Amino acid sequence: MAVQTEVIALPPGSPSGVFSRLSFLRLKNFPLVPALILGFIALVAIFANFLAPHNPEIGSLTARFKPPFWQTGGTTKYLLGTDQLGRDVLSRLIFGARVSVVVGFTAVIFAGTVGTTLGIISGYLGGWVDQVIMRITDTWLALPALMFAIFLAAIVGPSMWNIVIILGLVYWTRYARVIRGEVLSLKEREFVRLAIVAGCSKWTIMYRHILPNVINSAIVIGTLMLGVVIITEATLSFLSVGVPPPQAAWGLMLSDGKQSLMVGRWWLSVLPGVCIMLMVLSANILGDWLRVKLDPQLRQL
Amino acid sequence: MNSAIKRRESHANRSGLTRRDVLTLSATGVLATATTLAPLRVLAAAPQGQLTWGIHVSLAPTWFDPAETPGLITPFMVLYALHDAMVKPMPGQPFAPSLAESVSASEDGLGYEFVLRKEATFHNGDPVTAEDVKFSFERYRGASHDVMKARVAAIETPDQLHVNFKLKTPWPDFLTFYGSATGAGWIVPKKYVEKVGDDGFKKAPIGAGPYRFVSFTPGVELVFEAFEGYWRKTPSVKRLVFKVIPEEATRLAALKHGEVDIAYSIRGELAEELQRTPGLTLKPVDSPATFWISFVDQWDPKSLWHDARVRKAAGLAIDRKSINQALTLGFSKLTGNPVVCNVFDFFWQPPEPAYDPAQARKLLAEAGHPNGFDGGEYYCDSSYSNLGEAVLNNLGEVGIQMKLRPVERAAFLKEWGEKKFKNIVMGGSGAFGNAATRLAAFIVKGGPYVYGSYPDIDDLFEKQAVELDHGKRDAILQKIQQLVQERTVAAPIWQLAFINGVGPRVGESGFGLIPTFAYTGPYEDITLKGS
Amino acid sequence: MKRYVSRRVGYCLLSLFLLSVTIFFFVRVTGDPATLLVEPGASEADIAAMHHQFGLDKPLWVQYGLFIASLAHGDLGKSFYYRTPVMELYLSRLPNSLYLAAVAMTFSLIIGIPSGVLASVRVGRFWDRAGKMFTLLGLSLPPFWVGLVLILVFSVYLGWLPSSGAGTPLHLIMPAFALGWYFAAAHMRLTRSSMLEVLGSEYVKLARLKGLPQVLVIAKHAFKNALIPVLTLAGINLVIMVNVATVVEVVFAWPGIGRLLYEGITFRDFPVVQGVVLMGGAMIVIVNLVVDILYAVIDPRIRLES
Repeated sequence: MAVQTEVIALPPGSPSGVFSRLSFLRLKNFPLVPALILGFIALVAIFANFLAPHNPEIGSLTARFKPPFWQTGGTTKYLLGTDQLGRDVLSRLIFGARVSVVVGFTAVIFAGTVGTTLGIISGYLGGWVDQVIMRITDTWLALPALMFAIFLAAIVGPSMWNIVIILGLVYWTRYARVIRGEVLSLKEREFVRLAIVAGCSKWTIMYRHILPNVINSAIVIGTLMLGVVIITEATLSFLSVGVPPPQAAWGLMLSDGKQSLMVGRWWLSVLPGVCIMLMVLSANILGDWLRVKLDPQLRQL
Repeated sequence: MNSAIKRRESHANRSGLTRRDVLTLSATGVLATATTLAPLRVLAAAPQGQLTWGIHVSLAPTWFDPAETPGLITPFMVLYALHDAMVKPMPGQPFAPSLAESVSASEDGLGYEFVLRKEATFHNGDPVTAEDVKFSFERYRGASHDVMKARVAAIETPDQLHVNFKLKTPWPDFLTFYGSATGAGWIVPKKYVEKVGDDGFKKAPIGAGPYRFVSFTPGVELVFEAFEGYWRKTPSVKRLVFKVIPEEATRLAALKHGEVDIAYSIRGELAEELQRTPGLTLKPVDSPATFWISFVDQWDPKSLWHDARVRKAAGLAIDRKSINQALTLGFSKLTGNPVVCNVFDFFWQPPEPAYDPAQARKLLAEAGHPNGFDGGEYYCDSSYSNLGEAVLNNLGEVGIQMKLRPVERAAFLKEWGEKKFKNIVMGGSGAFGNAATRLAAFIVKGGPYVYGSYPDIDDLFEKQAVELDHGKRDAILQKIQQLVQERTVAAPIWQLAFINGVGPRVGESGFGLIPTFAYTGPYEDITLKGS
Repeated sequence: MKRYVSRRVGYCLLSLFLLSVTIFFFVRVTGDPATLLVEPGASEADIAAMHHQFGLDKPLWVQYGLFIASLAHGDLGKSFYYRTPVMELYLSRLPNSLYLAAVAMTFSLIIGIPSGVLASVRVGRFWDRAGKMFTLLGLSLPPFWVGLVLILVFSVYLGWLPSSGAGTPLHLIMPAFALGWYFAAAHMRLTRSSMLEVLGSEYVKLARLKGLPQVLVIAKHAFKNALIPVLTLAGINLVIMVNVATVVEVVFAWPGIGRLLYEGITFRDFPVVQGVVLMGGAMIVIVNLVVDILYAVIDPRIRLES
């Protein structure tokens, strides 16, 4: 534990090297499988156009509800079967990966940026700025996240980018509080005091000294939030205020497939569910590992 | 509601540990007997003489009061049980005299005389009198109350059993409005309402219908009990329970599991599953809800939709039969009339709507789009996005590429009315009325959802509004609908079938008895099997 | 100490005030409830009459003033849809939500604590991984989906449990499990790290040196101390759970406040949405306040620093 503390308290002005962080990867216990899964999903998302055998949004009513190819009635034309409008499930899963990746990562980065910035400002500047930001955060936290999201979706209408914005707006508070706490204790450290004495401006200190030290926490929170964001997106789609049809999104497929589930057409619901599970589980395992490696003090998460 | 709170409190009073132990024990027990008892089905037990409904919408107390009917059909689900009307739609009769023994219109069309039934009483024993009829009309403030109040000059009550309505000008649609489209003709007890006030009335309503109010937990459950003094007959089922289960899959599960005997609104695959399940019966009902696509930009000469051939092509592209089979198991009606329901007065039957993608492409080519075009956005109510997706697919097949924009219901209605949509809007309406009322709302100038209109149609409409002779009026309205179809002002999709599920305990379910009424009724005719 | 408490209370009120303003204006942007309560084709006059009935034709700031004024009396206004006071609706449904949350929390702790303890005692080995897997699985599956699968298996296929509604303990099992499983991971993590911390403490080292058997060390000394932060988190999560249970409530037709809020939003029932969100916010704010005060009582440094 002592080792980790020193890594965090970098001497002023030193680059918080990405490389020093990468060296962690060579240590034991790196969750290889989850990382590979996430990487795979990301690749599928990027190359979706090349990988998908059919158009995910257009189907033909004559080819409805075909089961996966290994079941009777299935064909190799539609490897994982078709849905209620005759659309190829495999293609929809592939393009759905794109939605999940984009929505997941963008929302997390968006929320992270806003939340971390406000957390740093609030924690470092203190005083009435801190109070105002904290009051807003409290208020925001008191709004149940899901409800807030439904709300906004009802106003601005459902679309993928709207969902990203909504999720970002809802979840930035998770970062702000924790980061602020970190900053409060960082403020008292030697290297910060040295920087003040050296005449650095407030903004310089925040940017060059505080930020690099809280990024670890932000990243950890980010990996954990990735899972939350994706589950929230699925829930919003279930409540019809998420990514709108006919776009292919795993959450939407889960929602569309719920009737099919009751009827025995398991592949329409179970397959996207498995995809979501794999992505979120991988993100969570990775996040746990990162937490242990980067900042064991983050216990409350 | 107080009883609901009390029930919860008594649960909470028992020590948390005990409940936790019970739960842990049950969980262990469940696991222990898993393999041996797997095939055992434990059906929910139902008391004799009770039927339970699984309702798809949340019940609102405003539905207990006929004075506030909002023009939707859903409140009548409750009204038919709790209240009774002077005349109302009944099996075989659109204006069956109910609380009124007879109705007669005067020669000049300015007066309607109602004779009340002597034996009609409210749940509290008070007889239904002319005072109550007058009172009920005057306090009516729901949909179209302004129209009604404007047309009625006076209401005379010469004695307890006679009520005369005097109109300012002849109004051929009076009985339609009074008897079916509004709640003005549904009678509430004056003395009681004045005593408890409107709010008190909604908490403990009293009416003259076949069932009396027992309890209501908002958004959860509504309970009725048979009123044995009902004039028409004593109801066969003693207790009615309405449970609110908004999630469709859960509703079907409840029906399968025996927790409800009747489930409303089961669609698509779940309806197929219903058909396959032994013991459950699929009951499709014709609803007055027609669906169509409206070309809101057709009056703009610069718009692609201005050319009638393009609109016609869109109409020809829709494979209604397949969509019908896929989404409503073939039960919806393909009338070809976009806006008017086929059982409405003054309905015009168009020729059967054609599905001809080849012809559609030909028309598009003639209009200058041999390779199709980008039609922009297709707006629809998000609760019907599965229908929207299917139609969109069809349009794409003939070359009209569009982007689906499902809008959440509240926002959809708002923006539709504010004329914010473009290109195509998938519209639908299930409101009561007749051809004239539907045309007024969606086709003719001045209607809330009308983005533009044709002057000749508007003129014809004005003419029929004052035409007293039913035959002549009919002719005019038919002509209007013909013009709508010729010009493809809107292209028809279908007339939605409302699919429901009925469980094994039900004898007569009440579905389909009352024309255009999507729900079960009359309640006094509903029976349990074997009774 | 008094100053600390009064400052904290002040902040609470400020937060609530901000919340009320935010929610008040937000709902009104979302749309018009009148158009939802009438079928398309209703006349302008009908809609205007509804606006008047709901008080929506008054200027915004007047509406807000009326809202705050009645709030001072504990009156959250009347639901547009149900025409009953929102407070009544809320209080009738709140016990259901609390009930569900409490049982879900129980499930969550039943799953989370033992796996956390096991994980801490057998770090890196099978039970550590297995426990982590199971709880993380709960975190990776959308609760509504878990709910639907549960209904399919236990109601439709096996016929053991009722599919929806409330009324008997049987109705509670599936929704509580679907909800509780999601939170189990957080409790497991915390139990595990808390236990690890305690197991590494001097106190426990001494017990071990004394020769006490491992089991006893864990059960008597480590466990109780490790439990404190877990229970604190559970307490906070309980409140979050009540608010988050919405989608589970919708799937199971459970009559709680989550469903009330969802219906309120669907129908643009402004008073209901305002009321439920405000009450939910108040609960969270109050819980935070209580926790802050308790910490200040326990740890003098905190109250001295302000």
